[in-house]
Amino acid sequence: MSRLIDLDELGRFSAGARVFATGAGDSPYHLALDWARSVAGKGVELVTAGELKPETLCVAVSLAGSTTALGEHLPRGDEPERAVRALERRLGERAGAVVALNLAAENALVPLIAAAMLRLPLVDGDGSGRVFPLVEQTTYALGGMSPAPLALAGGSGELILLETEAGRVEELLRPVVLAVGGWAVVACYPMAAADLARVLVPGTVSLLIRAGTPGAPRSAAAPFGVRRLCRGLILSVEGSTGHDAEVSLPSQPSSIVLREPDGMRRLVRLEAHNEIVLALADGAVVATVPDQICMICTGDGMVVDVDEARPGLEVDIMVVKAAPVWHTERGLALGGPRAFGIAL
Amino acid sequence: MILGVVLGRPGPVLVAVMDGVPAWPVARAAARTAERACVALDLSRSRTAPVAAIRVGGACPEALRPVVSRGVATIVRGGHGVTGRPLAPLDTEAVRRFAATCGLADFAVTATGSTMLADHELEVAAAITAEVPDARITLSYEFGHPGLREREADAIRNAGLGSEAGRIADEVARELPGVPAYFARSGRGLVSAHYFRRYPLACYRGAAASLERGRAALGVPVPDDEAAAYGATLGRPEAQVERIVQARGQAELDRELQRARDEALTRVVSAGAAPGSARIAETTVNPMSYLPDGLYRVRVIGEGATP
Repeated sequence: MSRLIDLDELGRFSAGARVFATGAGDSPYHLALDWARSVAGKGVELVTAGELKPETLCVAVSLAGSTTALGEHLPRGDEPERAVRALERRLGERAGAVVALNLAAENALVPLIAAAMLRLPLVDGDGSGRVFPLVEQTTYALGGMSPAPLALAGGSGELILLETEAGRVEELLRPVVLAVGGWAVVACYPMAAADLARVLVPGTVSLLIRAGTPGAPRSAAAPFGVRRLCRGLILSVEGSTGHDAEVSLPSQPSSIVLREPDGMRRLVRLEAHNEIVLALADGAVVATVPDQICMICTGDGMVVDVDEARPGLEVDIMVVKAAPVWHTERGLALGGPRAFGIAL
Repeated sequence: MILGVVLGRPGPVLVAVMDGVPAWPVARAAARTAERACVALDLSRSRTAPVAAIRVGGACPEALRPVVSRGVATIVRGGHGVTGRPLAPLDTEAVRRFAATCGLADFAVTATGSTMLADHELEVAAAITAEVPDARITLSYEFGHPGLREREADAIRNAGLGSEAGRIADEVARELPGVPAYFARSGRGLVSAHYFRRYPLACYRGAAASLERGRAALGVPVPDDEAAAYGATLGRPEAQVERIVQARGQAELDRELQRARDEALTRVVSAGAAPGSARIAETTVNPMSYLPDGLYRVRVIGEGATP
């Protein structure tokens, strides 16, 4: 049954989308929220994929690139609309609904902004159930859908259409995103509602609205389960130094080393490549992708991004279980440790 | 003797600190013999002046435009991307027109990408000065952190506090002639009166920060103002630099870090440290997520001792 995401629900949705979101600084988050509020009008219609006519063209909309770049180089405001319209022109067909690629902070708000501007419904679900760094790391791809053709709108008025075989989208997208300023809005994975219903992680938008309700437990944002790995004090961030020592080059991927202050006092090492990919405790693997590993600041309860980690900060390491499809053989191939170059 | 001062209601509260031991009250004549005065204040209820805000960047949704509670704002073309690439040539003519007609003297300038490259903010400052010779100008890059709107809001708040900060610094100088004055920062540390006049926002919650410090050092049974005045005397000159830098390889990163450290040391001295005492207290380098290798967030904290 369709319903409306009004301004109140928008606030809860964005709060819920932030509970476990990494890569979302304050600045881009508030920017996306202010932007969404300004275009939401009376509200955005939320539908399930099954409620749409099976042949309805659905388009995934997301931010691509760096949210830090978005917070610095502001959008003109027409990017979501331009990206979707370009894809429609290429396909010769109007989009009937918008869906999210993933629902991490800004990535949850940008499709809502697109839906509001285009006066289209937003589909209750997403292509991840968590967030992965690559446009191709989605349940849509796992279900056989192609991200291309893909339209990209940049913050200085750029518009680019990518058409290629499915496996090459990321490789072509990266330099383009950088060339337009480090971020862009993409419209991709054009597919019929019947296909979307088969490949999406359903119900995650309404789940996050509930999770963002004041007083809701943190676990409400983790439908497949969440566990606390440990509490730890950050000792060092590779390439970072506390007291005037020589700085070594922090090549990406980077590492974060923590010590448990109590209990087993284990030495915990987090290996990050845009996101935290692997957690080791005293040398033993304790968590890996596709589950999501994140640091929550014990002071303010907010997620600490990899590029905000600093010695002296006390964090809880939380592991959010990924949707079951990510733990299948194909899911692991696309979003497991090997996809990040770790042979485990 | 070091003098701790809380500027509050109804009048200033003074604490004299000798060999680490606080004593009060302090006679006016005695106060004027202090080797330095450390002032803690709370600017959150201070009068603010109307500000002329200039953003350098592109068009944006109405909801994301500059916010000035008192004053006027404009957006002029220009700015740089996060990789330092110019987005558009700076529209200097638009800056001149705005500066000449806004009728204000407190300016806040925020350019897109200025944490990477501050050239356009510096050019805007030059253009303003050509039109309004006595302008007081806050440049956002001096606050450093990424996030255009937050940096802009900081620059606007700082610009609005400029005249009040000048008045306070004048008053302290009049009351304590010949005594070097320092002001407590919101976090930790102190800045010189000269620095305070330019960056009053750094001391926005100096009284609260000093109170926390003073209480921790003294234990409970001390009135708040006296504890805060004592807390202010415990700080040392401190300054921070935050930048986004681009570096291919170790040598370039080392050079960029050295540049950031040099700037931090210069700032610590400007914040009142004896030149020989300035040192780097902390350097943090983090690669930026979702951008190609070679872009880093660099934060440097410098500190020093009072002369």
